[in-house]
Amino acid sequence: MAKYKIVHYINQFFGQIGGEEKADIPPQKHEGQVGPGLAFGKALGDECEITTTIICGDSYFGENMEEATATILEWVKEENPDLFIAGPAFNAGRYGVACGSIASSVKNELGIPVISGMYIENPGADMYKSDVLIVETGNSAAAMRKAVPVMAKLALKILHGEEIGSAKAEGYIPQGVRKNYFAEERGAKRAVDMIIKKLAGEEFETEYPMPIFDHVDPAPALKDLAHANIAIVTSGGIVPKGNPDHIESSSASHYGEYNIAGIDDLNSTNFETAHGGHDPVYANEDPDRVIPVDVLRQMEKEGKIGKLNDYYYSTVGNGTAVASAKKFAEEIAQKLKDQNVDAVILTST
Amino acid sequence: MWIVTNNPLVKAKLASIVDVQYHDVSYLDILHIMRDQIHAGSCLLTHPLSGSVKPNETPYKSVLMESGEAGKTDLDSLKLIEAAEATAKKFIDLRPTYVEDMPDRVKEDCQLIDYTLIISAFPSAGLGMI
Amino acid sequence: MQIEFLRKEFTKVKLQLGYIDINDIKFDKNPRIENGVLYVDPDALVASVLQDELIKDAHFEIAKPGESIRITPVKDVIQPRVKVEGPGGVFPGMVAKETTVGSGVTHVLRGMAVVTAGRIVGFQEGIIDMTGPGADYTPFSKLNNLVLVIEPQENFKQHEYEHAARMAGFKIACEIAELARELSPDETETFETPTIKESFEKFPGLPRVGYVQMLQSQGLLHDTYVYGVDAKRIVPTIISPTETMDGAIVSGNCVSACDKNTTYHHQNNPVVAELFKEHGKTINFVGQIITNENVYLADKIRSSDWSAKLAEYLSLDGAIISQEGFGNPDTDLIMNCTKIEDKGIKTVIITDEYAGQDGKSQSLADADPKANACVTGGNANEVIHLPKLDKVIGTLDYVDTIAGGHQGSLQADGSIIAELQVITGATNEMGFNKLSAR
Repeated sequence: MAKYKIVHYINQFFGQIGGEEKADIPPQKHEGQVGPGLAFGKALGDECEITTTIICGDSYFGENMEEATATILEWVKEENPDLFIAGPAFNAGRYGVACGSIASSVKNELGIPVISGMYIENPGADMYKSDVLIVETGNSAAAMRKAVPVMAKLALKILHGEEIGSAKAEGYIPQGVRKNYFAEERGAKRAVDMIIKKLAGEEFETEYPMPIFDHVDPAPALKDLAHANIAIVTSGGIVPKGNPDHIESSSASHYGEYNIAGIDDLNSTNFETAHGGHDPVYANEDPDRVIPVDVLRQMEKEGKIGKLNDYYYSTVGNGTAVASAKKFAEEIAQKLKDQNVDAVILTST
Repeated sequence: MWIVTNNPLVKAKLASIVDVQYHDVSYLDILHIMRDQIHAGSCLLTHPLSGSVKPNETPYKSVLMESGEAGKTDLDSLKLIEAAEATAKKFIDLRPTYVEDMPDRVKEDCQLIDYTLIISAFPSAGLGMI
Repeated sequence: MQIEFLRKEFTKVKLQLGYIDINDIKFDKNPRIENGVLYVDPDALVASVLQDELIKDAHFEIAKPGESIRITPVKDVIQPRVKVEGPGGVFPGMVAKETTVGSGVTHVLRGMAVVTAGRIVGFQEGIIDMTGPGADYTPFSKLNNLVLVIEPQENFKQHEYEHAARMAGFKIACEIAELARELSPDETETFETPTIKESFEKFPGLPRVGYVQMLQSQGLLHDTYVYGVDAKRIVPTIISPTETMDGAIVSGNCVSACDKNTTYHHQNNPVVAELFKEHGKTINFVGQIITNENVYLADKIRSSDWSAKLAEYLSLDGAIISQEGFGNPDTDLIMNCTKIEDKGIKTVIITDEYAGQDGKSQSLADADPKANACVTGGNANEVIHLPKLDKVIGTLDYVDTIAGGHQGSLQADGSIIAELQVITGATNEMGFNKLSAR
């Protein structure tokens, strides 16, 4: 019997090409298994073979998504495997987004089954979990030994055409996809059972968990705009030319604090965007398009606002984990308070 | 108090009773016009997803609105209209051309249903029973 | 004998249901119920329906469980019941006088229903399949159905015709139920709702649970009637669950087949039935509050304030809240839930979902973290393939335009690809079915 063919996608690090300095390498194709592919080969057993491994730099994928996807899809199409495995990416944000994105393309455009693996907080998990089966892994490569058997087991189930069980039973991240089924009891009985448990203070399981939105009450309006100190905070990645703090083009790990005292206008010679999630041409041509320093200076001169704060804060929102964004925001908010800022203009791209 | 609608029957029947702002636009576009008015300070008096006829089964929607407190955006209205737009889009994306191909007779029924939904609010709004 | 004995025990709000099992329906010139078979004379019934001048033509058909029959478009489903003892009559304010019902003895034709079918508006809905995959989703595939197909006169307004079709169903159900007036029931069941004082005395240790029922009340084809009163004109009130068993609440709702509550649902309210089963054991079922789902936002605020106030007035510890319909009522549901929770009363809500065909979209048009105990009747957008059945009662003309159908719903081979929302009662929000979603 012919073996099941598998194509495996990994990044430059797991492909043993190099670390961050090699993150810009374009996709390359290798015959057979590489890196984590060895462990998968063993776990999947004799009936499967990783025939091709595709390696791509994380930055390259993020910044050249269309080209990279087209190239990889072409290679996968040629190989026509029975399954496509991406990662696992653990908590590496750009790698996770790349795994999710390419797996989603392979599944939807070539109709080939796919799986991936990620840490639950990897932004790629949230972006692609509904489309791609993503096994939940630990947050670093140290968790490889645990992740591989779970992914291999799920892979074999898919290859054998077996029914995939619940997220909890199979170890993948819940897909947030609602699927009908016939319960043991009718709804009214389930409701009565639920109210009895709820009244007794026992644990009960709602059948539809309400989506939780992070509501922020709007701050009260400024009473006196003419004397207010206004600051700018952006996730649009506007940074001084040369990106001195090396803010990543996606999955940013930090933010920058920049002095704009005395600067009336941003232009292509003094500022630029670090953002990798959109076409940067217009932002680079005139960074005021993302953070309106020119207009605010004008209003400052006209006395419409009291002052434009000397410092502004910038990060890249592209694929940045919510947990990271919260951490940045807490620090930035404290700094703004310390500078007696009255109001903030938040911009994004 | 005024009606925002894309339903010609509402315009024809109610313009003599209440100010009717009629726009010959799609379901999604009329919701968007309502949203813009809320942004500008108006409030919804009726629910923008009135009726069980799904947004991809009828081209028509009417709401009653009124002026809000000066300088304030009514957040309850905003929440309702944003949720309505999201829900409507979810349905309309499923079969975007359905309404265009609708026979006139069905359109007339849809107009009538939308009309009865909006007049059901008239007694509560102090506009009397129609 | 048994009935005689029980009659002596009547209190004001004690209702005995006497079930007459109907295992088959046959046409016969001599109408009667004999050995579990209902014999009806279609000609006599048609003559009765045609007394309404708005109805041009009518005919009756029989659809039994397992038969290769599709009924569409369905307007209402009604269970024949007759009041044999006690004040008032079935369908008060609609057929009988407005006298308060809910006590005495009522005979129920169990295992059958009168189904009204036929065109009212151009986007009409409602499919009952008696066999195949569609039958699994509608409770009415398990009943022997006497289907009344009605053809309206031209040149009448839709609301007049809706009224005529609605009333024809009630009238026929009542005429048939008369056949059971003198029969001895196959089984009896007694329901008793206590006064507030009694409810405290009887089960002092059990948590007090109530039922908040939301009634569709938005306009033409979206209405519910309570003792004949349009529910949009009521303020929330307390009703005895036994009153609903006598038909105090009836459906005038023709839109959104999957999650509309037919008259049959109201007569056989599943929340009431399940609460009665636990009454005196794990809970103290104190009473039922009815409220509406109006279009006017101020009405919503008033009604939800009042339903919460009444829940508090009944000193409830917990409440089950059921819904009807899509979109607008989600707002009422969340308002009722949050306001009742804010009174310190624990809630469970029953709803259904519109999560898109792929199940990935937001299920409800409104949400709140306080609604942390939710029962769902399933995702109404889920696509279902209904194979061609041998016989259609009604017409397939509207399948392409009914709620949840889409162009091309009706396939060349006579099968139907559509969303679950086309099926009558499929995702019922009173928890009538086993369907759920996860």
